[in-house]
Amino acid sequence: MNAPPDDSREVLWEVARLHAGVLGFVGAVLGGAAIWMLTVWLVLKGGPTVGAHLQLLGQYLYGYTVSWTGSFIGACYGALVGGAIGWVIGAVYNLVVGLRE
Amino acid sequence: MEEAVIIGAGPAGLSAAYELGKLGLGATVFEADEHVGGLSRTLNYGGYRFDIGGHRFLSKLPLINEIWHEILGDDFLLRPRQSRIYYRGKFFDYPLKPLNALSGLGPLDGFLIVLSYARAQLRRTDAEDSFEQWVTNRFGRRLYEIFFKTYTEKVWGIPCSEISADWATQRIRNLSLGGALRNALFGHQRGRDGQVITSLTEQFHYPRFGPGMMWERCAERVEQAGGRVMCGVRVERIRHDGGRIECVHVRAAGGETMEVPTPHVISTMPVRDLINALDPEPPEAVRRAANQLRYRDYLTVVLILRRANVFPDNWIYIHSPEVKLGRIQNYKNWSPEMVPDPAYTSLGLEYFLWEKDPEWTWPDEQLVEAGIRDCARIGIVSPNEVEDGTVLRVPKAYPVYDQGYRDSLAVVRQYVQGLRNLQLVGRNGQHHYNNQDHSMLAGLFAARNLAGAQYDVWAVNTDAEYLEEARSAAPAGRLVPTRLQPEPAPLLSAEVVARRVFARLDPVALGAAFACVAAVGLFLATAGLLLKGGPKVGPTLSLLSQYLIGFRVTWTGTVVGCIEAAGIGFGFGYVTARLRNWVLAAGATLLRRRAAAEWRRRPAALG
Repeated sequence: MNAPPDDSREVLWEVARLHAGVLGFVGAVLGGAAIWMLTVWLVLKGGPTVGAHLQLLGQYLYGYTVSWTGSFIGACYGALVGGAIGWVIGAVYNLVVGLRE
Repeated sequence: MEEAVIIGAGPAGLSAAYELGKLGLGATVFEADEHVGGLSRTLNYGGYRFDIGGHRFLSKLPLINEIWHEILGDDFLLRPRQSRIYYRGKFFDYPLKPLNALSGLGPLDGFLIVLSYARAQLRRTDAEDSFEQWVTNRFGRRLYEIFFKTYTEKVWGIPCSEISADWATQRIRNLSLGGALRNALFGHQRGRDGQVITSLTEQFHYPRFGPGMMWERCAERVEQAGGRVMCGVRVERIRHDGGRIECVHVRAAGGETMEVPTPHVISTMPVRDLINALDPEPPEAVRRAANQLRYRDYLTVVLILRRANVFPDNWIYIHSPEVKLGRIQNYKNWSPEMVPDPAYTSLGLEYFLWEKDPEWTWPDEQLVEAGIRDCARIGIVSPNEVEDGTVLRVPKAYPVYDQGYRDSLAVVRQYVQGLRNLQLVGRNGQHHYNNQDHSMLAGLFAARNLAGAQYDVWAVNTDAEYLEEARSAAPAGRLVPTRLQPEPAPLLSAEVVARRVFARLDPVALGAAFACVAAVGLFLATAGLLLKGGPKVGPTLSLLSQYLIGFRVTWTGTVVGCIEAAGIGFGFGYVTARLRNWVLAAGATLLRRRAAAEWRRRPAALG
């Protein structure tokens, strides 16, 4: 019986495609979770001025504040923005791969 | 002992004969052509094999898949599917992908397509008798004119307003613009019913030496089971009396004739020819109806090119109206063994014509030159790399679904029902644009009917529904359709799985994606503040200038910052993809070394 074939050149020759929808979903989860955790961390940490810099997000995310309520509002925005970013990355990637093929 | 006669050795006829052999019943198949296979035959020109159209062996019917594997075994290859549309000097993926189509057509066309689609949804025409109405109602006029009208009229030779909506219902029913958009987002090719669209899957089976190989083997099996397959023998007359076929009168290529008595006839010959072959003649109304049925004729110009790789597709649809060429097949991409020398490629240039068209009677040399010109015009082929060519003409290749075909066919069917031992199956036999698997199924059912079953062969079509033996029959003895479970998705080979698992990310593509997000993100962040205004605009955001040289929270500064952000984003994406690919390669190397070590440890007795 022959030795197993050396197919090292066979792997990594096919180009992967990204699922833009799945990437968007992942981005949404990560974005929402990130803003929620960042906010809650500072709220729990407390101090005389809570989230002096993080609150600047309120300039873009209407209704967002560094508070418990704000953390959930921010999570929603984060999910939206993260989802959009993930989807765009997937879609642009697939588009460029398609054009290059 | 008299045997059943089967007219035509295409998929339907040979499947019927094959099934009869399994049932222990004899059959004689008469085929007018020199080769078996009908429209699924494969021809050989100096070692270059070519087909008539494309034949993917892909079916939702478990029985058919079983038969294919039974007949062909290891000579059944699993091939990747790729096809595109050529239109306006550009290539578009097929099935259509919204982003790909948009990038090819441009934003203006894309916008007009969306407007047109919206208008169609709001103001649908109630009448959907024609292909044009059916498609426009679902896709909008703009998309219809771009991707459906020109090609469909090229194939059928009549305006889409004269093509029956049955054609759309049968061939593109399961597609929708909404589905295409969902597919673009989530990547699954599923139809309205939630099932994966069979015709759009990414792989298919194909015989090593073309579809003709399947039917040549099938014919051998028929003969091994005691049947006969006679090529070059044309059925000229079919004598009937008292509502039964008594015999068929045939003529061989050498001119000798024969009268063959038979208890049953399964016919796959074109309906028009069948009715005109009946003796005594059917009533005038029936003959008139049959003669109104039309068939599209087909011609392929095969070019042999001195180039190893011409294009990666199995086939390309040529939608561009400036050439008559309808489709190009790259037989090497169907199976590498279709060409004798891998340094060469054979292409099939397919033209859809009427026999009365001038091109039909052009000399072969003229047709080959025309084919080369069309390909050069498209930019696929350079004339000086063509070494040889040949032409194949196939009259009555496709039944035409014009506006009157259904009524004509109904008249013919009504008459044929009166001939109790005659069954019509197959694409031309039923004047129904079946795929190969459904033609086969109709043939199988016709054969089983000779053994006492009661299948309605006319109910087999491209739908998922088909008939099985009745558990409760209607009073007239006809069967009730039952939907069977679709075949589970075939297991992927280890090779395919490995390639997908270890597929690499394209660094340039990922870099471009991150560049796009970074630039647009920075632009939106800056623009938001600029539009908001205030005494001091973006004091914190301006800190980015410590990383993005030249960035300011101004319109000009935004542009500078976006360019730099795009560069950084591209670098990030590029490096991420390279790193990921490197880690994957390292993982693959590790796995391979472990497998090699494991292999060396295997006992010598196992080989």
